Amino acid sequence: MDQAIVQIRELSKLYRHGDIEVVALNSISLDIGRGEFVALMGPSGSGKSTLLHIIAGIDRPTSGRCVVEGTDVSELGETALAAWRKQHVGFVFQTFNLIPVLTAFENVELPLLLTGLSGRERRDHVEAALELVGLADRMKHLPRQLSGGQEQRVAIARALVTDPTLLVADEPTGNLDAHSAAEVLGLLQTLNSAAGKTVVMVTHDPKAAAHAKRMVHLEKGELLNGGGS
Amino acid sequence: MAIPLKYNLRNLRVRWRSTIATALGIALTVAVFVMVMALARGLKATYVNTGDARNLLVMRKGSTAESSSQIERSKVLRFKYHDEIARNERGDPVASPEIIVLIQLDRIDGGNANVLVRGIGPIGLELRPNVKLVEGRLFQPGLAECIVSRKIAARFAHCRVGETFRAGKRTWRVAGIFDATKTTYESEIWTDADEVREAFSRSFYGSVLLRPTDEAAGAALIKRLEVNKDLFVRVLPESEYYKEQTKNAGPIQFMGGFLAIIMSIGAAFAAMNTMYAAVGARTREIGTLRVLGFRRRDIYLSFLLESVLLALVGGGLGCLASLPINGLATGTMSWTTFSEVAFEFRITGELLLKGMTFAVVMGVLGGLLPARVAAQKPVLDALRSV
Amino acid sequence: MTIPGFILRNALRNKRRLTLTVLSVALSLFLFTVLQTALRELSQPQVTEQSALRLITRHKVSLASVLPLKYQSRIARVPGVKRVSRLTWFGGIYIDESNFFAQFGCDANALFDILTEVTTDPEQVAAFKKEKTACMVGIKTMNRFGWKVGQKITLRGTIYPANLELTIRGVYHGGIDETNLFFHHEYLDEATGWRVVGCYWIQAANADAVADIIQRVDAMFSSSAAETKTETERAFQLTFLSWFGNVKLLIGSICTVIVFTMMLVTASTMSMAIRERTREIAVLKALGYNGGQIFGLILAESFALALVGGLIGCVGTWFLAQNVDMYVLSHGFFVKFEVTPHIVSAGLLIATAMGVVSCLAPAVASVRASVLDGLRELD
Repeated sequence: MDQAIVQIRELSKLYRHGDIEVVALNSISLDIGRGEFVALMGPSGSGKSTLLHIIAGIDRPTSGRCVVEGTDVSELGETALAAWRKQHVGFVFQTFNLIPVLTAFENVELPLLLTGLSGRERRDHVEAALELVGLADRMKHLPRQLSGGQEQRVAIARALVTDPTLLVADEPTGNLDAHSAAEVLGLLQTLNSAAGKTVVMVTHDPKAAAHAKRMVHLEKGELLNGGGS
Repeated sequence: MAIPLKYNLRNLRVRWRSTIATALGIALTVAVFVMVMALARGLKATYVNTGDARNLLVMRKGSTAESSSQIERSKVLRFKYHDEIARNERGDPVASPEIIVLIQLDRIDGGNANVLVRGIGPIGLELRPNVKLVEGRLFQPGLAECIVSRKIAARFAHCRVGETFRAGKRTWRVAGIFDATKTTYESEIWTDADEVREAFSRSFYGSVLLRPTDEAAGAALIKRLEVNKDLFVRVLPESEYYKEQTKNAGPIQFMGGFLAIIMSIGAAFAAMNTMYAAVGARTREIGTLRVLGFRRRDIYLSFLLESVLLALVGGGLGCLASLPINGLATGTMSWTTFSEVAFEFRITGELLLKGMTFAVVMGVLGGLLPARVAAQKPVLDALRSV
Repeated sequence: MTIPGFILRNALRNKRRLTLTVLSVALSLFLFTVLQTALRELSQPQVTEQSALRLITRHKVSLASVLPLKYQSRIARVPGVKRVSRLTWFGGIYIDESNFFAQFGCDANALFDILTEVTTDPEQVAAFKKEKTACMVGIKTMNRFGWKVGQKITLRGTIYPANLELTIRGVYHGGIDETNLFFHHEYLDEATGWRVVGCYWIQAANADAVADIIQRVDAMFSSSAAETKTETERAFQLTFLSWFGNVKLLIGSICTVIVFTMMLVTASTMSMAIRERTREIAVLKALGYNGGQIFGLILAESFALALVGGLIGCVGTWFLAQNVDMYVLSHGFFVKFEVTPHIVSAGLLIATAMGVVSCLAPAVASVRASVLDGLRELD
C-alpha cells in the first residue's frame, strides 16, 4: 500500500437519543491508499455509512482524527469544509439525488457553477464527464426521462466533473436492477483503474462488493479483521 | 362514507405554520372588511337616529341641506299657526324656526375644525326628546348663551360650562352641556335662533322643524305648503331628510367593498397555495384512503372542508380582532354641512355574520381547485409517490 | 446554465405556486400603491409656481359666510396686489346630486390672468368674456359629462335661490384642478338680486409681497362687520384636507395591515417552497455549496419573486391611473390620482423587503440544518 490518502485514527462517533447514547463508531483506525477501491460492508447499523459520511466531510466524529489528503477534516469549519468537499470529494448517493428541474447537463454543471470557470470551459468539462459515463447523447434529458441506471451515471458524472481524487458512494446500486447495477459498478471500476480515482463505496451487497479491490467489514461500530481484506 | 372531520383538524394542526399564516391572512382581510363596514354603518346609524319620523322639516325649494336653505321670517309667520301643527301645553305651535352657521373652533389637541352652530326656537328642544341636558342649564335667549354637546365639550377648547368663546359678533358663554348620543346633534352647539341671525348678520332662517298633530295632518300640511307657490318651500319628514344624508357613508362603503374584494382575492390565493401544498404532501395518504374505499367525492369534500375550516378559523380571528373598535368614537367630514360629524363604529351580529360568510367564500374559492386535483389523483400513482 | 439561471429554474419549479404567490404580492402592492396615491391626494395640496402667488380672502367666521362687494376695490389698492377677482362657490346641482363638481362665479376679465398656468384657446376666452351667461369648464368635467363647447347646461342652486342657465364657451386644460366650472359673477348677482361675494382671489405681484398682503388685508377689515381671513391657496386647500384626518388614519392603518398580510403570505409560501427542497439543499451542500451560497440562492429567489409581484402591482396601479378616469369613477372625490415615482419606489422597496424578510427564517433554518438531516428527509 503506497501513500495513504485517508488516514483514520481512533475515530469514534456517539449519537445521543435523549438519555440513551448510541455508539456508531468505536475507536476505528483505518488507512486507505491512493488508487484503492474499498467496499465498506456490514449490516444495517454497523456504522459503515457514518464512517463514509465522516470521510466525505458531511459528518463529524466525536473523537479521533480523520485526515484526508493531508487535511484533518474534523478540524475544518462549515464553510471551509464545503470548499474542501467541492475540491476533493465526489459524492454518489443511493437515491441519485439529481435536481428534477435541471437537465443531465445542468445537473453535472451544478458543482462547476461555484468555480471561476468560463461557460465554455464548463461545457468542455461537463461534456467530458458525460462522455466518460457514456451519456453524451442524453445531455438535454431531464432526470425523469432517464432510467435509474442512467440517472446514477449522471450522478457519477456530477461527482467526477470537479476532478476530485476521492469518490465516495453510498449504496450506489441500492435502487437499481441487476443489469444497471452491473453497469454502474463497472463504471466505478473503470474510473478506479483507468482514471486512478480512489473509490470508497458502502454496500451490503456482496456481489457489489466483489467489484472492489478491498473489503472492509464493520459490525456494531467496530472493524472486523482489523481492516484487512 | 365521509372522511371524519377530525382528520382535517389533525392535518391543520400538523401543518401549523402554514395554517397560522394563511388563517391570519384571512383574518386580516375579514377584520379590514368588518372595520370599514362598521365605520359606514356607524355613520349611517347616526344619521338615521337623528331624524324623528313624527317631525316635518320645511326648507326652501331646491335646497338639499339645511345649511343651504333660507326662509324669510315673514314666511315662517304665514304657516306657523296652521291648524295641522300640534300645540304644546302652553298653546304654542310646536314649530321651531332654525338656522345653522359654521364656525371654526380651536381643538384641544391643536388645530381647528368647523363646528356647526344651530340656532333653535324656544320649542326646539321639545321636538328632540332624545337630546338631554346633562350639565348646567339651558341657554337663555338674549344673553348670548349656548349649550354644547358632550363631544364638543370634550374636544374643543373653551367649551366647558362657564367658559366663553368668540364667534360672529358675539362672545358666547357655555351655559350647559347636552347629551345627544348617536345622533348628529352630538357634533353641534345650540343657541337661540334669533341671536344667531343677529350675530352672523342673517336676515333669514334656514329651515323650520315642526310637529303635525298626527300623520294625516302631516300629509295635509305637506300638500298645503308645497302647493303654495308663494312660499316656495319643500316639506319632508325629518327622518327622510336624514336618511338622504346617509349618502355621506357612500365613499366609505365603496372603499370597504373595493378593499375587501382585492384583499380577499389575495387571501384566497394564499389559501389555495396552502391547500395545494397539503394535497401534494398527502398524495400517498389520498391513495391509501382510496384503497380503503373512500370515493373521489369523499376526498374532494374532505379537502374542500379543510380549506373552509381554515377560513373559518381565520374569519373567527378576524371578527375577534375587529370587535374592540365597536363603539369607538370617530368623526368624518359631512359633505352637506362641511362640518365634522361624530359617530361610533358599529359592529352588529349581522355584520360579523357577513364577515364569516366572506371568510367561507374565500375558503371555498381557495379550496375548490386543490380539492379537485386531490380527488382526481389515480390511486396507483398516489400510492407510488414517495 | 449560470447561477441566475439556476435560481430561475428553482423559482419556476412549481408554476402554480409561483403564479399564486406573485399574484398575491402583486395584489397587495396594487392596493398599497392605490391607497398611498389616495392618501397623497388627501394630504398634499397641489402647488405650482403660479399658485404660490395666489391668496384667498374669506370671511373670518367660516366659509359659509359672505363678504360685501365693496371689499374688492379696497383689496385691489393694497400694495403688492396685482389683480383681484371675486370667487364665489355656487354649489349648484347638475341634473342629480351625485354629479358633484365645483362651480365658481368670478370676474371673467381677470380669471385667466390670475389662473395663469392653465391652457386655453384665446378665441374661446374672448367668447367667454363677451357673454354674461357663458362659462369655461375644465377638461375633466367636460369629459365626465360628455359636454361639448356651445352646449347649454342648467345648474340648480342650493345655496343661492337661483338656477343658472349657462352656455359652455370654452375648455381649459392643465393647472391644479381640471374639474372646475367658472362663470360670470354678474350673472349670479342678477339671478339672485344679491350683492355678496364668497371669497376674493388675489394675485400677488411677487412672492415677497405675499406675507405683507395677508397682514394688510386682514388688518384693513379687522374692525368691519365682516372680518376677513386671508391665506395662501395652499393653506386654504390644507384646511379642507385637514378634515380628512380620520380617513387618512384609516387608509394608513389599512396600508400597514396589507403589508403585514403580504408578508405572511409570502413567508408561508417561501417556507413551503424551501421545506419541499430540504433534500436538494442537502445535496447541494454535499456537492460543496456552503451555507452562504445556499442562503444567497434562496434569498435571490424570494427577492426576485417579490420584485416581480411588486412590479406587476405597480404597473397595475399605473395602468389604472392612466386608463381609468378616477375622477369619474370616484364621483369627483379624487381629482388627480397621480401615481408618483416616489409611491412606486416605496411600494417596490416594501415588496422586496418583504421578499427578503419572509424568506429569512426558512433560509436560515435550511442553512443551519446538517447535510445528513437533509439527506435523511423523506428517505
